[in-house]
Amino acid sequence: MKWTESDIEVYAKEREYVDTAVVPLIPISLTSNLKSTVSMGEYINIISNELERQLKGRLLLVPAFTYLQSETQDSRTERFKKIEDELTDGGMKHIITLTSDVDWKQSEEHLSSGLLWMPAIPLEHMDEQHKVETISAQIKQVLQFVTNKWQSSIKG
Amino acid sequence: MAKKKEVTRRQFLNYSLTGVGGFMAAGMLMPMVRFAIDPLLKEKSKQDFVPVMETSEITNQPVRKEFKIDQVDGWYESEVTQSAWVYKDEKDEIVALSPVCKHLGCTVDWASNPAYPDQFFCPCHAGRYTKDGVNVPGTPPLAPLDVYNKKVENGKLYLGKPEPR
Repeated sequence: MKWTESDIEVYAKEREYVDTAVVPLIPISLTSNLKSTVSMGEYINIISNELERQLKGRLLLVPAFTYLQSETQDSRTERFKKIEDELTDGGMKHIITLTSDVDWKQSEEHLSSGLLWMPAIPLEHMDEQHKVETISAQIKQVLQFVTNKWQSSIKG
Repeated sequence: MAKKKEVTRRQFLNYSLTGVGGFMAAGMLMPMVRFAIDPLLKEKSKQDFVPVMETSEITNQPVRKEFKIDQVDGWYESEVTQSAWVYKDEKDEIVALSPVCKHLGCTVDWASNPAYPDQFFCPCHAGRYTKDGVNVPGTPPLAPLDVYNKKVENGKLYLGKPEPR
């Protein structure tokens, strides 16, 4: 479900069925590596929207967590933990964070959520058809990750 | 006494005032009336059909086809990806089902659960549908999958909007 009033209404009614939050991690910078920063954000945006479309009924796509490229990894992690806590308190059993920024790999162990790092694929020179195919191939992997997470929680 | 055909000053003023007033009233009322009956005059928005695939490619095994439609959402125009499960049924008729689960809107997958190889399966809450899109009782969905409006032209399958059954 998306972070919109109409979807949240459904969420409020069907809370027991929605146990997974998806948080895209999106870097901001205008001074250094402008283009790569933007492409990370764009790519993760596309992936998280597509993921939401496929698994709408059990996911809540929350607004992206944004941070400055210049912010230290410790401080980002500290801030992000608060969001994780809020989501867990709100009843989310699984939190999935999507990022293209390799820096987050360092703090993976400090996070309670499943961090999914995927390098941004430059989409700008692809034609439409190719783009759709590339994204849906990527999405398959992400879906696998998410459904595995769900299944392992049933067993565990 | 004035001659029969002659218009008096008073009459002339009366006529011209009603005339001008009438125009002014009409000028105000016309747009209002137009607004009021506008929904009736509006052409029914044309059903947009989108070419999806060649009919010769369709087999009796459901395949998922993605296509894009333009969606206007308030002021926000966007291209939305939609999918359909397309196959031929026993009577050799083309069926195009919407993959949106009637429970909470996940995307269902054909035969993705090894335990149910001939059913649509929803990964979110294990909802199931038989091949014709009818929900399996006892699983979360309460209605069958939507069916796309479709037409075939020049060997191509065109899909319109999904309609609930």
